[in-house]
Amino acid sequence: MDADATRSQLAAALVRVAAGDRAALAILYQDTSSKLFGVCLRILKDRSEAEDVLQDVYVTVWRKAATFDPGRASPITWLVAIARNRAIDRLRVRGARGRLEPIEAADAVSDPAPSAVERVELAQQHQRLTRCLEELDARQSTAIRAAFLDGATYEELAARLNVPLGTMKSWIRRGLLKLRACLER
Amino acid sequence: MNDDDTTEPAERDKIIAAEYVLGVLGADERREVERRLAQEPALASAVAFWEEQLGVLADEVAPVTPPQHTWSQIAAAIPAAAGARRTSLWQSLAFWRGFGIASATLAAASIAALAYFGFVPATRAPLMATLAGSSGQPNFVATVTATGDSLLVVPATLLTNDPRAIELWLILPNQQPRSLGLIKPGQPIRLTIPPDLAGRLVPDAALAVSLEPPGGSPTGQPTGPVIASGKLTSL
Repeated sequence: MDADATRSQLAAALVRVAAGDRAALAILYQDTSSKLFGVCLRILKDRSEAEDVLQDVYVTVWRKAATFDPGRASPITWLVAIARNRAIDRLRVRGARGRLEPIEAADAVSDPAPSAVERVELAQQHQRLTRCLEELDARQSTAIRAAFLDGATYEELAARLNVPLGTMKSWIRRGLLKLRACLER
Repeated sequence: MNDDDTTEPAERDKIIAAEYVLGVLGADERREVERRLAQEPALASAVAFWEEQLGVLADEVAPVTPPQHTWSQIAAAIPAAAGARRTSLWQSLAFWRGFGIASATLAAASIAALAYFGFVPATRAPLMATLAGSSGQPNFVATVTATGDSLLVVPATLLTNDPRAIELWLILPNQQPRSLGLIKPGQPIRLTIPPDLAGRLVPDAALAVSLEPPGGSPTGQPTGPVIASGKLTSL
């Protein structure tokens, strides 16, 4: 299955969810829940919290499918954005407890066989972003990756990489500006 | 962001959008960005840009199968009456028309229409165009059906009691507009695409709507004002 096919398959499921089709939500869940659960777990580092957030994510998808704009977002990045927002909000409420656990904690329980949809849809666009991240200073791209994947605040990133807060902010901001310039080329 | 006073406000917003999506902001700053998103399209579009671009980093996260009971809890949390929701989307069309509604909502309306008419996309990606007027306000949503032989047009804004006919045109690069037929101001309509044009409705072809004498353009070309236009995009 190629990226276009998976994209329209997911978009079609979202179309049907927007029209109130519960079976379509079940299909969407089947195709995307392990990716989104992985995303939530990576941020929250706690299975039961990640489960709560995942439920909340699909209930939100059910309610907000009508706002999905296929001209503006791909289905999977739209879903990932909802999952990350929910997980990060939960993390901010809870505080940084357990934040310094090694990242491998989440990988240890990972599923070795992602669905075809999850595998294909993200991989193609990912190459382009990776190319642009490679143009950045190594510290900038490391910080940006860690921020995105772990949902860490500037303060946590500064502490983790042992640099002053101001330095961390300026690494990331300059990195983001350079990244945008590269992506818009 | 207050510590970066030298930056222009517009430039600073682009960074705030990126910081929001990246996830480095605290809870209060996040609420502030979300509050502004509803009112500031430029900020919303910057956030959408970064969500689309950075979102692919999720490719680096290993998928983990959630426990079985998660799905049953989700299923229990969503309302069972699916049929009722379809109807209410249609009933609220009149309500939408009174307001200038966002293109995202419009796309959703058309998507709902797509499902309603039973065009569940199966064989090919459906094509859709949001036709907006000069103010940028979307007036119609047109969707090519999955079979490629007809076009569903959903009006979304209130038209004045203009006695003129509303005609839909296909605009191909370096060619004269081709009429696709007359559409109605107040209700969704399904137009059959002329066989010789069936293969021409492709992404980047444009659709336009003009006001014409009753019965349609007498010349075969648009004669009245173009009130809305937009490009086809693939879902």
